[in-house]
Amino acid sequence: MAFLEHLLHPEYLDLLYFCTIGVLFSCLISFLPALHIYNVIGIFLLVILKFEATMAPMQLVSLCIGMIVGYSILNTVPATYFGPGDESLSYYILPSADWLAKGRGYESIILTGVGALGGIIALAVMAPLFLLFLPGLKTITSPHMFWIIGAVISYAVLSEWPKGISQSDSCWANFLEGWKFLGVGLITFLLSGLLGFIVMAKTMVPVDFAFQSITPVFVGLFAIPWLITNIINIGAIPKQHESPSMELDWDLVVRGTFGGFLGGFFAAYVPIVTAGVGGLMAGHATAQRDGRLFVMSYGTCKTVYYVGSFLLFFIPGLSLTRGGLAWIVTPVVSVLTMKEYAMFVALMLFSAGISFLLLMPFTKLCIKMVEKIPYHWVSVIALILVIPGVYSFTGWGGMAIMAVATGIGLLPVMFQARRMNLMGVLLLPVCLNMAGYGNDVLRFLGLI
Amino acid sequence: MKGFTHFISGIAVASFFPQAVHMASQEQSFILCLGGIFGIMPDTLDFKFARYFHKSDFEIRPDPDNLDARVIAEGVANAIRKAIAEGRGTVQLHTMQLASNRWRSYTLGFDSTTSEVVVEIGPEVDTGQIPFEGTELKDPVRANARVKVDCEFFQQFDKKSQIAIMTGPCFEFVKRPTGKVEIVFLPWHRTWSHSFTLGLLIALLVGIFTYFTVPAGPHPELYTIPRWLLYPLIILFGSMVHIIEDSTGFMGNNLFYPFTKDRTNGMGLMSAAEAIPNFLFVWSSVIAILYNLDRFRWAPQDTPPGIENPWNFFFWFYFVPLAIMAYYFFKGKREKAEKKESKNRPVDFDGQTSVERETDASII
Repeated sequence: MAFLEHLLHPEYLDLLYFCTIGVLFSCLISFLPALHIYNVIGIFLLVILKFEATMAPMQLVSLCIGMIVGYSILNTVPATYFGPGDESLSYYILPSADWLAKGRGYESIILTGVGALGGIIALAVMAPLFLLFLPGLKTITSPHMFWIIGAVISYAVLSEWPKGISQSDSCWANFLEGWKFLGVGLITFLLSGLLGFIVMAKTMVPVDFAFQSITPVFVGLFAIPWLITNIINIGAIPKQHESPSMELDWDLVVRGTFGGFLGGFFAAYVPIVTAGVGGLMAGHATAQRDGRLFVMSYGTCKTVYYVGSFLLFFIPGLSLTRGGLAWIVTPVVSVLTMKEYAMFVALMLFSAGISFLLLMPFTKLCIKMVEKIPYHWVSVIALILVIPGVYSFTGWGGMAIMAVATGIGLLPVMFQARRMNLMGVLLLPVCLNMAGYGNDVLRFLGLI
Repeated sequence: MKGFTHFISGIAVASFFPQAVHMASQEQSFILCLGGIFGIMPDTLDFKFARYFHKSDFEIRPDPDNLDARVIAEGVANAIRKAIAEGRGTVQLHTMQLASNRWRSYTLGFDSTTSEVVVEIGPEVDTGQIPFEGTELKDPVRANARVKVDCEFFQQFDKKSQIAIMTGPCFEFVKRPTGKVEIVFLPWHRTWSHSFTLGLLIALLVGIFTYFTVPAGPHPELYTIPRWLLYPLIILFGSMVHIIEDSTGFMGNNLFYPFTKDRTNGMGLMSAAEAIPNFLFVWSSVIAILYNLDRFRWAPQDTPPGIENPWNFFFWFYFVPLAIMAYYFFKGKREKAEKKESKNRPVDFDGQTSVERETDASII
């Protein structure tokens, strides 16, 4: 009881204020085309940290909780209507584009939102249990993390199946047709991995913005190819139906949340693995096929990934720093106790509530925008904003990296291979570095 | 089973070798991934290689500008007639691509009660198999056809095959001693690639290679199995676990190819596409991996365990989830059976099979 009184003390009301500000700010962040949340928060904190004397550490953490929870729930909206910002979103965006083309974008977003809310509730329910089993899990898996990432890579590569219609009389022609897609996938993965090694070993980004060194890579790999595709391929999107109700039952909610939670937790726990990769693996592990189930499960997965990785950082005594946001707040948060952990969970639930309430008006606003503005112009404007944006933070070096990454990012788009292969940019170098082979590769490439 | 199920089961099998766990934690070896890779390998061989080199006796390429269901049905019937005369006949059905995202669909079924091949030309569909309104064939004579053959059918899946997008299916017809003609779906799948013999052969070749190339490694006195033998054993057991898992379904495998000619039927305990059976195998593998990584940790006397009480661990993390899965599995089965009874429809001839709705090739 004393603990509850302590938590509900008016002195903590300011945290709710900062949380709300964070959620509102996440609406704006979600609109920024093609930028990953961690990069935006990084830039934001550069400004905020100048005022760190006036902000208590927990206030900053509340702001971050609001931003990450809000972003994880609300980013689906602009991603659906204007294009995905990162790999975690691009996994979702292809099925979502299908719904959008049928005028069901609103329905898809609300389903994702329900999934996201389910994910937050599941995280809150699991929060006390994390205290019990995560220390053991960490003890078991810590020496093995490199091969777990290696297994993720192996599965991602092996689980891509050939495409094509195989109608030639020649077996070899059919074989080459099928392998064209697989080959492009493999080449994409290897080239992305090579780019990752180069960027991590010898970044061309100015030292002042070294924390943004991965931004031009992500913009080039994921955002620009998507924007270019939109400009070339898509005309006006069909009229969007704002359905007053939705076909949904508890069975679907439970199954979607369960599958998504598994994928999101795996992605949050294992370094470098994103919600896209985690979602794919969990989807296969739980044999999901229903389209609604996929969309909802994706909502859970990305929310659990984004918020869960931040939550892991606050588990007392665990020292599990996963995800960019945890690294960003590390300098300001020195002591972590049960009080901070409980507050995190409470603020996470509060932010999720506000974000979910914002989801419907936010979606309707976006629908109005895409109905008024021609769709491909949105992509043109986004492209015009992104390129100078990258230049302003990373200079000509960043532009060069972005140009190379764009070339690689266009490969899966043009040859209908999996975009997930682009995650080789992080998976391959980090896996080999963790295994201790990173320097050998760098030496082989002449980078050291 | 899903590809992921086979993959993680392969890793779980590899984790039962203490030396492999030690190699992973102490020498940064990826040896445990080898189990996963060979766990998914049989399907990789089938869907990335074998399918392209299978030649059918008959190939049906329907002309989208001159659609006629009878032509297709006659083509399939010819393959059945060949099987009646010669013992076996195969037919490959091709899809009709009209534009990058537009296909003409058709269905093929085998009506066991009347011994007829049934073909229906369907609407045009997009790659997501969503039909375009008003694209159905207007002429009913050309849109539907039934061609009778002089034999009885024996088939595992009494449902229509939807042929619409990407690569069409292949069927083999085999005359059985009873006189019935068995309809074999995808005859190139689950044959040599899903046999113990291939697993043994690969393991043998790898074993010869590792015998000459892999050194004993540190602390050989700790292990009963020499290090060179570890690789072929992980490969063998990884591919065997795939075959065993597939045998729990309906399609089965050709276990001793080339000594046996045909696929045996599976045990039929569960469908490969079902969520709970797949998750059961995945969860069992995860639990086995965690338990093995913990019990085979290096220097156990100096390192605290991650699992302090194995009984608690298995009770809370395995038996409780197992009980929940069993509850939902049997509840689902009961509800399905009740639904079937209430509709009084013994065979759903018109619906797609769950396999046909599947996007992950490895569950077939």
